[in-house]
Amino acid sequence: MSVSTNVRNVTSTINRQERTKSRDWIGWLFALPHFLLFFVFLLVPTVYGFFISLHQWHVLAKVHPFVGLSNYKAALTDDLFWLAFRNTVYFTLLVVPAGNIISLLLALGLSKLRSNDTIFKVSFYLPTIISIAVVAVLWKWLYNTEVGLFNIYLMKAVDGLAHIGIHIPFDNIPWLSDPHWSMPSIAIMTIWWGAGGNMILYLAGLKNIPNEYYEAAKLDGATEWRQFWSITWPLLRRMTLFCLVFSILGAFQVFGQSYVLYAGGSGPGRSALTLVLYLYQQGFSQYQIGYGTAIAYLLFAIVSILTVGQFLLFKHGNKA
Amino acid sequence: MEIKLNSRIVRLAETIMKSIRNSQIGLKLVLSVVAFMFLAPLLWVLATSIKTPGDIINGLGAGNWIPHPVTFSNYVQLLKNAVEFPIWRWTFNSVFISLSVTLLVVTVDALAAFAYSRLQWKGRDRIFAILIGTMLVPGQVLLIPMYLLIRDLHWFDTYWALIVPAGANAFGVFLLRQFFMEIPTELEDAARLDGCGPLGILRHVVLPLSKSALATLGIFTFMGAWNAFEGPLIFTDSLNMRTLPIGITVFQSHYDTEYGPLMAAAALAAIPVTVAFLLFQKHIIRGISLDGLAGR
Repeated sequence: MSVSTNVRNVTSTINRQERTKSRDWIGWLFALPHFLLFFVFLLVPTVYGFFISLHQWHVLAKVHPFVGLSNYKAALTDDLFWLAFRNTVYFTLLVVPAGNIISLLLALGLSKLRSNDTIFKVSFYLPTIISIAVVAVLWKWLYNTEVGLFNIYLMKAVDGLAHIGIHIPFDNIPWLSDPHWSMPSIAIMTIWWGAGGNMILYLAGLKNIPNEYYEAAKLDGATEWRQFWSITWPLLRRMTLFCLVFSILGAFQVFGQSYVLYAGGSGPGRSALTLVLYLYQQGFSQYQIGYGTAIAYLLFAIVSILTVGQFLLFKHGNKA
Repeated sequence: MEIKLNSRIVRLAETIMKSIRNSQIGLKLVLSVVAFMFLAPLLWVLATSIKTPGDIINGLGAGNWIPHPVTFSNYVQLLKNAVEFPIWRWTFNSVFISLSVTLLVVTVDALAAFAYSRLQWKGRDRIFAILIGTMLVPGQVLLIPMYLLIRDLHWFDTYWALIVPAGANAFGVFLLRQFFMEIPTELEDAARLDGCGPLGILRHVVLPLSKSALATLGIFTFMGAWNAFEGPLIFTDSLNMRTLPIGITVFQSHYDTEYGPLMAAAALAAIPVTVAFLLFQKHIIRGISLDGLAGR
């Protein structure tokens, strides 16, 4: 027994030595297919994109003069760029806090449930797996001012209240056709579409908190409210950061919603013009890809600063 | 006697109250209402897609949900319009592209994850760090350079453009590597004694032990490819090369208010992923949870 173990140990030691000496190329070989794809379709475009942004580059033109940073300068003095930026920030502010609170509430509800929660989890998550194209085509109808379900049900609710003597003046809400309503409408649709993803993450975080903490707190007579703020919230902090970072990352890249709801346009009064939609319009409608990539890299810079900033903020907060 | 009966009633009431509290009826009721709100728009698609045109128009004012009578004429009309809107071709494209992407991603990612977890080679950790470092690059940043690249490869408006670039993503390598690293070295050594090379170890030891991780990556990749929006929108332009999600927006621009066929098209685009999700929901939900916990 011990002899065979020894033999095995010796052989495996020899094998390991061999491995480190002669097997460099084998490791490379296994990594190569993915690395080639990664190199050509991720690393190269990332660098190439920056190169393009330094040129005045029209898709159909034969020459692309080098212009340095002037595309960036142009973007920073372009009213439409700033409008797209403000709209994107507005969208992020509408979607990220409300969306995360809803996801967290759903997760809290499910974590309290003692019986099987699969059917609820599946229901909350289902919208997430549907393509944004399908989602937007459907919601465009739901939001329709005259024949959309939202206004039909709101009207019914107002009528119902009128029957019991409460009169609320109500006009059909122009969900998508009014510049003040368009972004909130897109945000509501997006929250419905994406809340399930973060819900699963929060739920995983909640299940990771040892039950003993809650039992001890109960013995001390802590209320549910108190338990949430002194146990759940601090221990869920890292997961909250993770969800916030990726929600913001996703929100800044909003594109499909505006594109499908407004057929590639910018919505009423350009109220649905987002950064990615603007770079798409510049690149693929105006064919100004030098300018388009400059917008893309500004977006990249904004997102990177936000991500790093949030990590620092949370790190600092953890120490304090 | 009376006292005894009273106390019995009190006790019965207490047990009922307790069982109500234990069964969490209130919580379940709230969760059910919210779950219905999440599902309602999707049920509306399904209900509308099997309504007659008259039924849809009547339903517009009242918001009635139950189709009466049930008809499949919207689907038939949709499939008959194949000249103007090649929905068969879109369906084929979506199926073919999603399956190819899944096969490609799972294959190259499994090989790479094996190299980054079980093999020793020079520069391994440095290259892996580069892979991880680029995971935060927003995909939209790459749209324009990718478009030029695909045009110069003469891949514009071909399947290649929608399949091959999907293999560049590093998420799957990261996910599989986590799993591969947890397989005990002893198993590997035993296989080596039996004369297995690295490929043999991957095939006979690592892959069979990682079936659930491979399934998770596979189903994620499939759903991602099926729902992809920006890629098919920008890298194709002929009607025949569109996928279902892009096809449905084309369809909408022509039939904005023909809700029957429009919702039938939406259902066609949504049902396959929904079925795949329901079949694999355990893998998917666990996959997301792991992803999140790994990120902590």
